[in-house]
Amino acid sequence: MRARPSRQALLYLGVVLTCGVLLFPIYWLVITALSPADSLHHLPPKFWPDVPQWGIFREIIEQRPIPLWLGNSILAALGSVGISMFVSVFAGYSLSRFRLRGGPSLGLFILTAKMLPATLLVIPLFGIFRQLGLIGSLWSIILAHATLIVPFSTWMLKGYFDTIPRELEQAAMVDGCSPLGAMFRVILPVATPGLAATALYGFVLSWSDYAYARTFLTNAQTNWTANLGITTMKGEYITNWNQISAAAVLVALPIIVIYLFLERHLVGGLTAGAEK
Amino acid sequence: MAGIRIEHVTKSYGPLAVLKDFNLDITDGEFVVFVGPSGCGKSTMLKILAGLEEATSGRVLIGDREVTDLAPGDRDIAMVFQNYALYPHLTVARNMGFGLKMRGTPAAEIDRRVKDAARILGVEHLLDRRPRALSGGQRQRVALGRAIVREPQAFLMDEPLSNLDAKLRVHMRAEISALHKRLGVTTIYVTHDQIEAMTMADRIVIMRDGEIQQIAAPDAMFAEPANLFVAGFIGSPGMNFLKSKLTMGSGAGTVSLYGQDVKLALPAEPLKALDGREVILGLRPEHITEGNSPVTFTVSPRLVESLGSEKYVYCDIPEANRTDIARAAGVDDERGDAQIARLINAGDIALGRPVQLGFDPARLHVFDAETGRAVR
Ligand SMILES: Nc1ncnc2c1ncn2[C@@H]1O[C@H](COP(=O)(O)OP(=O)(O)O)[C@@H](O)[C@H]1O
Ligand SMILES: [Mg+2]
Repeated sequence: MRARPSRQALLYLGVVLTCGVLLFPIYWLVITALSPADSLHHLPPKFWPDVPQWGIFREIIEQRPIPLWLGNSILAALGSVGISMFVSVFAGYSLSRFRLRGGPSLGLFILTAKMLPATLLVIPLFGIFRQLGLIGSLWSIILAHATLIVPFSTWMLKGYFDTIPRELEQAAMVDGCSPLGAMFRVILPVATPGLAATALYGFVLSWSDYAYARTFLTNAQTNWTANLGITTMKGEYITNWNQISAAAVLVALPIIVIYLFLERHLVGGLTAGAEK
Repeated sequence: MAGIRIEHVTKSYGPLAVLKDFNLDITDGEFVVFVGPSGCGKSTMLKILAGLEEATSGRVLIGDREVTDLAPGDRDIAMVFQNYALYPHLTVARNMGFGLKMRGTPAAEIDRRVKDAARILGVEHLLDRRPRALSGGQRQRVALGRAIVREPQAFLMDEPLSNLDAKLRVHMRAEISALHKRLGVTTIYVTHDQIEAMTMADRIVIMRDGEIQQIAAPDAMFAEPANLFVAGFIGSPGMNFLKSKLTMGSGAGTVSLYGQDVKLALPAEPLKALDGREVILGLRPEHITEGNSPVTFTVSPRLVESLGSEKYVYCDIPEANRTDIARAAGVDDERGDAQIARLINAGDIALGRPVQLGFDPARLHVFDAETGRAVR
């Protein structure tokens, strides 16, 4: 089937428009960060500042413990992704491979956990964490984020394992592996792209959280995550939008870098066999 | 190397009985083919042998060792899968050496044995590649290589050729046979293709709905099929089936085919029980000849297919002789109202022009119409 030129042009127009809509807020964020604080309320708006204020980044880093916040965000994300992956790899693999009594409904039940809004879960989690003495500790959001990530990553991984033929494990078992050995020596290496995509997805979920951090960490400044920290930069009477935007750019950067770094794993399918 | 013994193996998935009392003795070095239509339980039996599925009941012995409850890796067998199941993340060399590595074989010896196997299969130049960089035929060889490198007690192969194109399939068929001659390892080979079974097997085990229909050497199975199913499954094109009433005359059975009384060559004794009843007569397409024969009949061809050296002549079966048994045991959707003659070096045969065909009654197979069992 060959599309006619006019249809192609229309398609391209659609893609360009979509990208425009998606990218404009990011572009505007960058513009806001680089513009002088007093030029933000100008009409008509400027689409590129006359003198980009690159110094803004140094300025906010000197004023606020942004590296600390970023570090906390990274720790929280790594911790919650680590726990989630450990749980989900086994759960997803079992759901994919074993016929359990009630297996399908169990799988669906896991998903319903995700259908509840985070704000609803915050209250019981707060109670639990207070009893455990975790309020104010990074562990509170690591665990809370894990409860968000596990349902999704379990299903993503189940879907990925479903695409791997069972004969691979069977071959490994005939070759002398135990069932667990077959999973670790054959299935997980083969599933690397799926594992990477799932881990990244979980990372983003944790990274973008605000509600849990706001609830569990507000009284522990040294454990603030980046998202929580940024919101404290908004003053009651005066807000330096350029500073907040600059901080937001810094928070977005790690995710973009990770995407660029993992891209070939995410889209390349099984890169392991692709060379030569 | 070792023989294999399967004793009273059954397998059920819930209420579905997939294998019903499977018994088989395989001698050391034998090449046994399980053949049957898709879904008849061949793969299930093979997986039970491999330890990948648990039998519902029964025992499996490899050599003198009962392996019924052993893990696949402890059974000392190698398996070749239809989709090859090569490890995508490992090179060819590591794919082939994986089983040895799992058993703790020293690296130098793995290396030597992988190279030996690669030489036998002609894949030495591919050892550093990953499976995805191989063609279908090359993957097939690597999968075979992975099996032979381990020097196991037995090879289990589940439709290993069905992902290859027709030409390569014929070629690999011969190679696997040659490999078996060379290594002499007991092999169980599963296929739905009766030609593979006929050409490769020392013995064929033909199955249907989880039951063994017959166990015999290829030629014996072709010459003396045990029942209608086997008769229709083995041979291509499949056997022609005709229906008739059997009457016992003076010491011999007589049936009526093409409006003629045909005296059966079978001894009277086994036929007596069927006196006055319906029987199915089987006649292989290649046993129908052009021109003079002990029994001749004239037909108008409905379709003539020429393969150059031979012609398939399709013609109608008289109403009285028609059966509703599909040819080739329902594998092809050929109807029971036509018969095929396979004529070698036939003369000019044209559509609609009457032609005289014939056969020797000694070639007729007789089946009990009720049970489908061969009478002999
Ligand atoms: N895990 C399973 N659960 C339920 N039924 C199964 C399972 N595996 C196989 N079967 C059924 O068992 C029968 C035999 O399957 P199989 O041995 O794969 O047939 P074949 O290899 O001869 O084509 C089929 O009807 C199939 O649907
Ligand atoms: Mg099968």
